[in-house]
Amino acid sequence: MADSDTLNSPTRRDFLGKFTTAAGVTGAAAACWPFVSSMNPSQDVLAKSITEVDLSNIPPGGMHTVAWQGKPVFVLHRTEAEIRKAQSSPGGLAPEEDGRRVQKPEWLVVVGVCTHLGCVPNHNEDGWLCACHGSMYDTSGRVVRGPAPKNLEVPVYSFEGENKIVIGKA
Amino acid sequence: MFKQTIDWIDQRFPLTSFVKHELTGYPTPRNLSYWWNFGFLAGFVLVLQLATGIFLAMHYKPDAALAFDSVQHIMRDVNYGWLLRYLHSTGASAFFVVVYIHMARTLYYGSYRKPRELLWWTGQILLLLLMAISFMGYLLPWGQMSYWGAAVITNLFRATPFIGDQLVVWLRGDYGVGDATLTRFFALHYLFPFIISAAVVIHLVALHSVKSSNPSGINLADKDNIPFHPYFTIKDMFGLGVYLMVFCWFVFFAPNAFIEAANNIPANPMQTPAHIVPEWYFLPFYAILRAVPDLIGGVIAMALSVLIFAAMPYMDRSRIPGGAHYRPFYRILFYLFAVDILVLGWVGSQPVTNTTVIVGQVATFVYFAAFLALPFISKIEERYLMSRKLPPALKSLLDAQGERSAK
Amino acid sequence: MIRMLLATFSALLLAWAPGAAHANEAVLDHSPLPEDKAALVRGAEIVATNCNGCHGLKYLRYRHLLNLGVSKDKVDEWRGSQSLDAVLASQMSDEAAKESFGGVVPPDLSLMASAREGGGHYLYSYLTAYHNTQDGVLGNTVFPETRMPDVLGMATATDAQQKAGIQAQAKDVSAFLIWAADPHAAERKHLGSYVLAYLAFMTVLLYLWKRRIWARIDQEPPIE
Repeated sequence: MADSDTLNSPTRRDFLGKFTTAAGVTGAAAACWPFVSSMNPSQDVLAKSITEVDLSNIPPGGMHTVAWQGKPVFVLHRTEAEIRKAQSSPGGLAPEEDGRRVQKPEWLVVVGVCTHLGCVPNHNEDGWLCACHGSMYDTSGRVVRGPAPKNLEVPVYSFEGENKIVIGKA
Repeated sequence: MFKQTIDWIDQRFPLTSFVKHELTGYPTPRNLSYWWNFGFLAGFVLVLQLATGIFLAMHYKPDAALAFDSVQHIMRDVNYGWLLRYLHSTGASAFFVVVYIHMARTLYYGSYRKPRELLWWTGQILLLLLMAISFMGYLLPWGQMSYWGAAVITNLFRATPFIGDQLVVWLRGDYGVGDATLTRFFALHYLFPFIISAAVVIHLVALHSVKSSNPSGINLADKDNIPFHPYFTIKDMFGLGVYLMVFCWFVFFAPNAFIEAANNIPANPMQTPAHIVPEWYFLPFYAILRAVPDLIGGVIAMALSVLIFAAMPYMDRSRIPGGAHYRPFYRILFYLFAVDILVLGWVGSQPVTNTTVIVGQVATFVYFAAFLALPFISKIEERYLMSRKLPPALKSLLDAQGERSAK
Repeated sequence: MIRMLLATFSALLLAWAPGAAHANEAVLDHSPLPEDKAALVRGAEIVATNCNGCHGLKYLRYRHLLNLGVSKDKVDEWRGSQSLDAVLASQMSDEAAKESFGGVVPPDLSLMASAREGGGHYLYSYLTAYHNTQDGVLGNTVFPETRMPDVLGMATATDAQQKAGIQAQAKDVSAFLIWAADPHAAERKHLGSYVLAYLAFMTVLLYLWKRRIWARIDQEPPIE
């Protein structure tokens, strides 16, 4: 057989074996990817990572709660009084300027999940009160009373025209 | 470090000796042909079905109102969901291809014969489990074929004496196939792989007790056995490569070859599709069911057509070792039987007409006649072969057998 | 022996194929259907602006059309005030549809191309099979019981050029519905060619390695 001259050459045999093993292991590892990937959010879930909000029917002082990535997002149309109050205060437990938390002063957009343990706070004239453990947030969504450690999160969003924002898209 | 770990384990668990006994040192006949690859392939298909099935179950919803949509969700929105589903649906057919070839090899080479009866019977149980799991899995997409296939097959249990009607309702959990049926089929479809895995272990224990048969049909002397590893591990790997090429061609380029068009229409209990056929792997048995013009008779014939294989070790009464290779009469019978199964498969796929009914009945008769004739044919064949000169190797083995039975 | 079993297996495949054959398959027109993006986009427009009036496509969302390559302007026009995530539901209520079509709701089209024997060829043949019978009644040779009107105007087309135009439209519609029924088909075939190339390469390597390992022992079979 043609092998007779290569049979006694262990380096070549070792190379073939090692190369085949390496190629096989690589292929097997690549074949795992579809399985792993299938557990990631599916395309319809990803599509929900962008939420459009029509602002034209939120009156001053009114608030809409919209779903974004399965979480509530508060879109608050702030009144002049609320804007003034928010701008005059440096914030409470985690000071942050109001100007850094809004793109336009009359629109506050925050994720409606208490930074303590994840309950949804209730809106009132001073801001929000979390019924679970009593955390309070002001009209800029900044925490003014614990146990919550942080301000309400501001999601990525952008204005499309005067009356529409797109949450999830910078 | 590696060696220390192995030593630590070996003091507590027979790892090294197990691997040595069952794999690296496991004695295997050197003359096995590629027909002996299909047992390993069946094991591989089982593992792939388990893996794809578990990941599909993360997205599938066993609810009559949601099942069909959830399959479309898998096909369209889940990342690589289409791949998982096509691997699984094509894998079901591949499972039967591999298992049927594995069985055909067993029959051709007489691997069912003494002392491998238990090995053969555990294989029969695996076949029954495979039929059950594929039948239940086929309901899950909740298409028209799923629905009506399950309706027809569960109705077969009406043939049970006295309690038939109640039994069918109990199986379905409803008066017709319904939401309750779908949910329990899903639960059992998820359970069965574990039963099958356990049965595979038993099958392998039986195999490693009696060792592999080989094309000669004679148990080889020690000098003709070689270690399983590396000789048969590499041979199985090469066979796996060939198998995967064929399998993946279907998965990527013709996955719908195994999905009936009507199954892309959601189940509708008010309307039966014009032409319902079972999956290809059930067609011969379906043809036998239809060949008998009586519900109970048809069900008995169909059940017998599967179960009768278990009697092979006793039907084959020849003392000539091996299978069809040395046995001209048995070989003819084997090929006649193979052709007959193809004819039955064709009949099963056709709508009922006068011609298909007659062809189906003749083929059903031939099917059972081949089994019933085997004891006589094998005896006649033995006398015919003994009256002629046998190959020397066979002769000496027969003499040895004669001495052993004389003791 | 190997040849025998191969023959057996191919015979099995042959035996099984006629099971899929349908009585009316003979009349189907199997002329090739387009697969290019432009045809799919043209088909999408016909389906969204015509078929979608009565037929729903419940597994298609407007964002899928964007992914297919339809321009944002057109998708915005078709969806009106609905979100990009809305499905292409029929613009007709089931009740209205039943009234118009004698008690039958026009079937959903998202899976139509895979729900009929013949697939896209069935759809193309069906759409172009409208004709006026001798009594002047509208008929369809592929699906005689159909209640769908001759939307593309095949029966009333007079000259060859007009007919060719309708046939081209029917091809685009069929091509689009094939895509709608199995939107990952192109990706699947693309990935499949890499997978098969890899497997062929691996199989050759394994074969060489197998030969090398088996060369260590005398390959004479003990018996025969």
